Amino acid sequence: MQKLKRYGRLYRVLVSQFLKTILQSRVDFFIGLLGFFFTQIMGIAFLYLVFEQIPDLQGWTLDQLIFIYGFAQIPRGIDHLFTDNIWMVSWWMVIDGDFDRYMLRPMNVFFQVICEKLQPDALGELLVGMILIFLSISKGVLIVDAAHILCFFISVSAGAVIYTSIKLFFATIAFWVKQSGPFLQVAYNLADFAKYPTEIYSKGVRFLITWVIPFAFVAYLPASYFLIEKSALATIGLECLIALIFWIVAYSFFRYGISRYESAGN
Amino acid sequence: MIQVTHISKEFVSPKKYPGLKGAVKGLFSNEKVRKTAVDDISFHISEGEIVGYIGSNGAGKSTTIKMMTGILTPTTGQCLINGIDPSKNRMENAQNIGVVFGQRTQLWWDLPLSESFTILKEIYNVSEEDYKSRMDFLNEVLDLPEFFDRPVRTLSLGQRMRADLGAALIHNPKVLYLDEPTIGLDIVVKDKIRDAIRQINAQYRTTVILTTHDIGDIEELCSRIIIIDEGKKIYDGGLEELKNTYGAVRKVTMEVRRMERISEIDWENRLHANSSLFTVQTDSEKNLLTVSFDKNRIQVSDIISSVMEVSDVKDIQIQETELSEIVKAIYRHRI
Amino acid sequence: MKKFIRTYLPFASNELKRNMAYKGAFYLFTLCSLFGSFIQYYLWMAIYGSAQGAKLGSLTREEMVVYVFMSYVTSSLTMISVSRELGKDVVKGSVVMNLIKPIDYRLSLIAKGLGTMVYHFMMPGIFVWAGLEFYKWYALGLPVVNIGNLLLYVVSVIFSFFIYVLFDFCFGMIAFFTTYIFGMQMAKDALLSFLTGQLIPLSFFPEIVERLFEFLPFSSMVYTPVMIYLGKYGISELWFVLGRQLVWVVLLYLLGSLLWKQVTRRMIVLGG
Repeated sequence: MQKLKRYGRLYRVLVSQFLKTILQSRVDFFIGLLGFFFTQIMGIAFLYLVFEQIPDLQGWTLDQLIFIYGFAQIPRGIDHLFTDNIWMVSWWMVIDGDFDRYMLRPMNVFFQVICEKLQPDALGELLVGMILIFLSISKGVLIVDAAHILCFFISVSAGAVIYTSIKLFFATIAFWVKQSGPFLQVAYNLADFAKYPTEIYSKGVRFLITWVIPFAFVAYLPASYFLIEKSALATIGLECLIALIFWIVAYSFFRYGISRYESAGN
Repeated sequence: MIQVTHISKEFVSPKKYPGLKGAVKGLFSNEKVRKTAVDDISFHISEGEIVGYIGSNGAGKSTTIKMMTGILTPTTGQCLINGIDPSKNRMENAQNIGVVFGQRTQLWWDLPLSESFTILKEIYNVSEEDYKSRMDFLNEVLDLPEFFDRPVRTLSLGQRMRADLGAALIHNPKVLYLDEPTIGLDIVVKDKIRDAIRQINAQYRTTVILTTHDIGDIEELCSRIIIIDEGKKIYDGGLEELKNTYGAVRKVTMEVRRMERISEIDWENRLHANSSLFTVQTDSEKNLLTVSFDKNRIQVSDIISSVMEVSDVKDIQIQETELSEIVKAIYRHRI
Repeated sequence: MKKFIRTYLPFASNELKRNMAYKGAFYLFTLCSLFGSFIQYYLWMAIYGSAQGAKLGSLTREEMVVYVFMSYVTSSLTMISVSRELGKDVVKGSVVMNLIKPIDYRLSLIAKGLGTMVYHFMMPGIFVWAGLEFYKWYALGLPVVNIGNLLLYVVSVIFSFFIYVLFDFCFGMIAFFTTYIFGMQMAKDALLSFLTGQLIPLSFFPEIVERLFEFLPFSSMVYTPVMIYLGKYGISELWFVLGRQLVWVVLLYLLGSLLWKQVTRRMIVLGG
């Protein structure tokens, strides 16, 4: 408990320092936000156009698809906001030896990695996600009761953990190959598949995004819990389990990777 | 304080082949290149010592330091810093040590220096009182107030090094590692840094380990040095001892008026020594006579009096072998 | 002319070599950029599966497969960013250095873009194209593309390339006013994926919007060449769309010159 409090305090101190530097460039902040906002809005416009032509997509209505799409943005945005620095580890920190400084401080290494940066661009994704979810609520496509609201928060947190675990896992490869950016990029881009119902994909793709790189558990599967009467255990429960397993695997791998760290200059 | 036992570090990298063909080949081959950067090194350092850790580029200095600080995990062997194994209890060890890497700052680049100190105070959990008394001391020895409110990126190299040194000491570490602390600094700043290190060591009995290429750092700071080459320890002992062992050779150069008479001297007899203990060189064009000798066995006065008996002497110069010469000789000897 | 080629060819060939230097894991990037096309492919298959008619937005299911992958190939050949480099040069201040060299800065950027285009043609353009044609023939039982359409497509792609780089050069001048061009790029890419027909054929839009979009230069960047490839235009239409592309090349060239003059004059006055 004492430790948790200390880390909470450290997080505030470190992040507030970072925010000070960010606030010096407010224009950049809004432009970045706008960029991510636009990208997501285009995806929605696409759905609208398509549904001009068809009544439903394999049984899913436009409103339902929009919710899935919007819901997928929330865990993605949360992860993007808080752990963006993992990208730097995979691309530059290991090869440049900048990782040294994390090893020299009396704090958890992963903690140091994530509190070095907040990515305000992610607010664009979160904004789109929230708008679409409120839109869905106002249209009455969602089941809204206490249990579902609670599950919503659990689900987006677990989803963010899955994102973070996948990023951490692929970034860790850098301790062997020095730069794992391309691997991470490929894995991360697979998340785009999860913005639509997984039924539309072939078996191979479905297997890949469900069991190998489990983005299906981040978006489509939990979203279906909010749309149709599905058991919370089979959706949100399973998502939490997957999040836990992947986190343990990724974090252990990361810990092992650190012991393999070679620094620079050899 | 520091106990290093038989540590080795091996780096393994995939073998690379040249060209496009090689890149493809590299994808499929599993050949590895092994390089032993540190090879079975052991030593013990007591509290309050200042130890110079020296060697040529690529000798394994930084690798050893990185193992002691917890950045790298040794392939075999173990180091215990104040009873803690950094590869197992990295965080606990980090609380006890301070590190300055000359070429890389640990400060927050875009923030005023004062902010960096505030953050470090939190990171190392330094109490308000301790922080105050530490800062008073550091301000005095490092003159930090001069640039305390400026962003780190605007500091000159010398200022930044002072700031980094201060930052490494804020939590009163028991051990301070300095990797090339004076690299690229001018003489005045170098003196200041050395002075600060001495004061810190005296005041808090901080154990200091420093790697450097600057012989001045060693002569002014270290009572003991460890030399490594190609990953192996080749010398460990006092500075004076090193000078006595390798630096016993002294040189006396004299400008004489009557060069032709020098050959009359019976050196072995006059110096009471076997001819293996000295060498005599003459330069008849400049009328220079140079005698190199083992200072522990032969008296300078004997040499001078022998010469003066046969000729007038216009000028005398006595040279001690410099430390840099000794170090160079040691490196060369190994190669 | 000979001198012209001698001056600018090295820019193109160096850029090509630079691209080729990336190896190993960097090929993964290529794979990555194809993901989007596969998502679209599956999505369209599901959409056609749910549709009543055989045609959506005037395209059959098979034509849509071609559209998805050819729009990928086309955009990788034509939409080559020069604004990124322009932005970098502005931030570093090396634009001024380029002003005193006896070369046209914009032409040097375009030559570099051409080098990248050649690289994209080899990696992965030609493979995706060949794969698509094979799939058409083997799995869909369709004839491969006819040679006339292919040649016209190539001509159109070259126009498209110039339209894009000339436009992007104008866009890149934003770098003189903000430092965070990454965010602007994101917004631009998102908007263009829509306006060029990358994301969805323009024929899906309501007619009035489609007209408007065709009037803008963006439809000429991807939509036009892909529709030519699909053989969707009659002879007279063909001359019209190719002519329109040419007009845009000229207009954007003139606009770029004008803006460049204004901006560099300002820069010289303000001292960079």
